[in-house]
Amino acid sequence: MTETTFQHSTASPPRQAAPSGALSNLVATYGLLFVFALVMLVFGVLRPSSFFSAININTILVSQSVTAMLALAEMVPLATKQFDLSIGYHLGMAQVLAVGLQVNQGLGWPEAAALILLLSVIVGLSNGLLVSVFRIDSFIATMGTGTLLFGVTNFYSNGEQISGLNLSVSFTNLTQIVHGIPLPAVYVAIISLVLWIVTEYLPIGRNLYVIGANVRAAELTGINVRRHIIGAFIVSGLLSGFAGIVLGSILQTGTPSVGPEYLLPAFAATLLGATSIKLGRVNVIGTLLSVLLLAFSFSGVQQLGAPFYIQYFFNGGILIVAVGLSVYATRRRQRAATTTRSQKT
Amino acid sequence: MATDAQPAIAIRGVTKRFLSTLALDSVDLTIGRGEIHALVGENGAGKSTLIKILAGIYPPDAGEIVLDGRSLNPHLEPVPIAFVHQDLGLVDELSIGENVALVAGFPRRGGLISWKDVWEQTKRIYAGMAIDPPDPRAPVGSLSAAGKAILGVVRALSRDARIVVLDEPTASLPGPDALHLFEVLRRLRASGTSILYVSHRLNELFGLVDRVTVLRDGRNVSSGSIDGLTTETIVRDMLGRDLQVHHVTAATGREATPLLTVENLCAGNQGPLSFTVGKHEIVGLVGLRGAGHEIVGRAIFGANSHSAGTIRLAADVIPADLPISARIGKGIALLAGNRLVESTLGGMSVRENLFPNVHAVSGALLRPIDTGAELRAVRDELERFDVRPRSAAALIDWLSGGNQQKIFVGRWLATGAKLFIMEEPTAGVDIGAKGIIHRTLRKIADDGAAVLVISSDFEEVATLCDRALVMGRGKITSELTGSTLTLEGLLTRSSMAGGQSERVH
Repeated sequence: MTETTFQHSTASPPRQAAPSGALSNLVATYGLLFVFALVMLVFGVLRPSSFFSAININTILVSQSVTAMLALAEMVPLATKQFDLSIGYHLGMAQVLAVGLQVNQGLGWPEAAALILLLSVIVGLSNGLLVSVFRIDSFIATMGTGTLLFGVTNFYSNGEQISGLNLSVSFTNLTQIVHGIPLPAVYVAIISLVLWIVTEYLPIGRNLYVIGANVRAAELTGINVRRHIIGAFIVSGLLSGFAGIVLGSILQTGTPSVGPEYLLPAFAATLLGATSIKLGRVNVIGTLLSVLLLAFSFSGVQQLGAPFYIQYFFNGGILIVAVGLSVYATRRRQRAATTTRSQKT
Repeated sequence: MATDAQPAIAIRGVTKRFLSTLALDSVDLTIGRGEIHALVGENGAGKSTLIKILAGIYPPDAGEIVLDGRSLNPHLEPVPIAFVHQDLGLVDELSIGENVALVAGFPRRGGLISWKDVWEQTKRIYAGMAIDPPDPRAPVGSLSAAGKAILGVVRALSRDARIVVLDEPTASLPGPDALHLFEVLRRLRASGTSILYVSHRLNELFGLVDRVTVLRDGRNVSSGSIDGLTTETIVRDMLGRDLQVHHVTAATGREATPLLTVENLCAGNQGPLSFTVGKHEIVGLVGLRGAGHEIVGRAIFGANSHSAGTIRLAADVIPADLPISARIGKGIALLAGNRLVESTLGGMSVRENLFPNVHAVSGALLRPIDTGAELRAVRDELERFDVRPRSAAALIDWLSGGNQQKIFVGRWLATGAKLFIMEEPTAGVDIGAKGIIHRTLRKIADDGAAVLVISSDFEEVATLCDRALVMGRGKITSELTGSTLTLEGLLTRSSMAGGQSERVH
C-alpha cells in the first residue's frame, strides 16, 4: 500500500532466482577458460608450427610476467574498489633505477633492489594516505602521483636511455630460463600463490572485498577501512617496484619512456579477470587467465600478419569489453534479485 | 474556513488495487480553497498511495478527481498540484536562487541565463507569498531546517499551483523550526492556497489544520472539522475501535542490574538523555520516523560521535573516541537501519555476509579462516533462521529483504555481543521473518543480553519490548511499561511528544 510494501516479500515464495542464477553463474564462471581454450585452438590450427613453439611460449611468458605482476598489483587496491593508475609509471621508475643505480651509482643489485622497494613502499603509502586520509578520489590521486613518478624517472635519467652493458651477470640471470622455465614466470607463480591465499583464505583478504562491496557496511562491522586501503596501496606499490626490477633485468637498459604503456593491458586484464572465476570481483586466477588470454590472442593475431599498431586497438577494445561485461553481469544480477524480491501475494 | 461553495479539489470514490491488496477503497476527500487539510493514518493505511495517485504515478482503478469543477486524470495530464516530499529534493551545493530556478525555470535573455533575473525571480516568488526572501545567492546549505522546508514549499508553488501536498514536512524539523514553517503555511492559506498536510505528529495539527481525514486500511474512516477532536479520538480512528494488543510479556525474574547506562548523552540534535538497559531486557527507544533518534544508538556503537555525556557498559566507561572495532570487542553490536546502504555486501555470498569481519571474532588478520568451521556455522545460522535458499554460496542479492535481514541479525549474533542495538530490526521484512527475528531477540535477551530496539514501528515495540522510551524533539518524554505499553499508548504519547515535553509515567 505504501512505499514500504514494495520492499516486502511475502512469507516464503520459493526463490526462483537462485537456480537460474546458479546456472548462468556456472557459464560465466568458466567463460574465460572457454574463450582461452578457443583462442589456443584457433591459432594452433591456423599456425600450428609457430604458435605452440617453445620459443613463442617462453617469449610470451617472459614478456607477460611483467604485465601479470602489474595486473596483480592493480588487483589488490581494486579489491577495495580503489584505482591505482600510478603502477605503469612506478614500473618505469623502478626499471630505470634498477639499471641506473648499478651503472651510475655503482651499487650492487641487491642494494639497488632494496632501495627501489623502499621507495615503492613510500609511493604506496603516499597513494594510500592521499586516498584514505585526504579523501582524494583514487583515480585522480594516483594519476597525479604517477605523473610525479614519471617526472622523477626523467629527472634521474635526464630523459636518456641508460645503457646496461656492464650489468652483473647475477642481475641479468634473475630473468633467465632455467630448465626450460623462465624465472619471471616462477616469480609470478609465487606472488600469485601468496595473493591467492591472502584473498581467499585470510580474514584480511575478505576484509578487502568487504570494503570494496560496501565501505559503510565495512566500517560498521568494525573493519579499519583506512588501514586496509593504505595496506592495499603499499602492496600495489611493492609489486610495481618488483616488476620494474624484473623488467630492468629483462631489458638490461634503463629506458625512461618504458612503463606507462603497461598500465592499460594490466588494468584490462584485472577487470576482465573480474568477469570470471569469482563473478563480479577481481581475483588472482581470473587475472592470470586474462593476462594469458590477452597475450596469446595478441601473439596469434600478430602471427597472422597483423601490423604492430593492432595492439592499441586490442588493449583499448578489451578494456571497454571487460568493463562492459562486468557492468552487464552486475546489472543482470541486480535485476534478477529485484524481480524476485518484488514478487507479491 | 472552507466555506467556498466549490472545493479546490475533490477526490471521489478513488479505489486502487495492487494484485490482491485493496490499497484504497472508495476514498473521498474534499479540500476547500484556503484550507489546510490533514491526512493521517498508520503506516500502510493508504496515504502514500493516495498521494501517488494525485501525483499521477498510479492511475486510479475507479473514482474521479475534480479540480475547480473539472474532472481530470493526473496519470494522463499535468495537474496544478505541487508536491513537497519529506526529503525536499533540494541541491545543497547550489544557491537558493538556482534551486528555485530548477523548478520555476531559468530566466533567459538572448538565449543565455540571466543571473540577475534568476535572483530577482526568487525574491519575487517569495514576496508573492508574503514571505521574507533569503539572499538568493546564498547556498541552500546555509539555510536553517525551517528555511529549507519553506524553500521546498515556495519552490513547489512557483509554478502557479494553488494546491500543495506536504508529505511529513516536519519529520526532521526541530520544534522552533516547525513553528516557523506553520506560520508560512498559515500565510499561504490566507492567500487562498489549499494544503493537504500529511503527518504523524498529531498534536501539531491542532491550531494549524482546518479539517482532518483519517485513513485506515484504505478506507476513510472519518473526515471533518478538527474542532472537537483530540489526539486520542484521532488515534482511535486510526487504529479502529476493536483493537486488540497482544503483548508478549517477558520472562520473569529479570536482573535489575543495568548492562548499559547512558547519562546525559547529547548527540546530533538529540539529548540530553539518560536511561539504562538491563540484562535480559528489551527496551524500545521510539520516535516518529525522521525524528533522528537513531543517532542515540549510533553514538553508543561509535558510528556517530556524541558531544556530551557518558556511556557505560556494565562498570566499564566507553570513551567517546573508542573505535567501532574496540566496541565490538567489548560486546556492542549495531544492526543498522538502512539495510541496503549499511549492511548489504552486494555481490558477495551469504557466507561472507554472515562473517564479513572474521578479525572481529577471531582476533587475527593473518590466521587462515577455518573454512570447515565457518561453513558449519553458516549452515547452523541458515537453519536457525530458516533462510531460503539454504545456501552458503548464494549471493546476498538473491535473497528477499526478510531473508537478508535474518543474515544481518545473524552476523551480530556470531560476534557474541552482550548489548544489541537494533535499528528497525524488521523494517521491510515479511511476517514470517519478522516472527523469527522477534523470537531470536527474545531468546538472546533471555540468555542474558541487553537489547535496545530503535524503532518507529509502534506495533513492533508494543509486542516485543519490555519497556519503551518515547522520544520527542530529542528528549525522552515518557516511559511505558507493562500494561501501559500498548500500540495505542505509544501512538498517543509519541504524537504528543512533538510539543512541550511532558513526563507521563
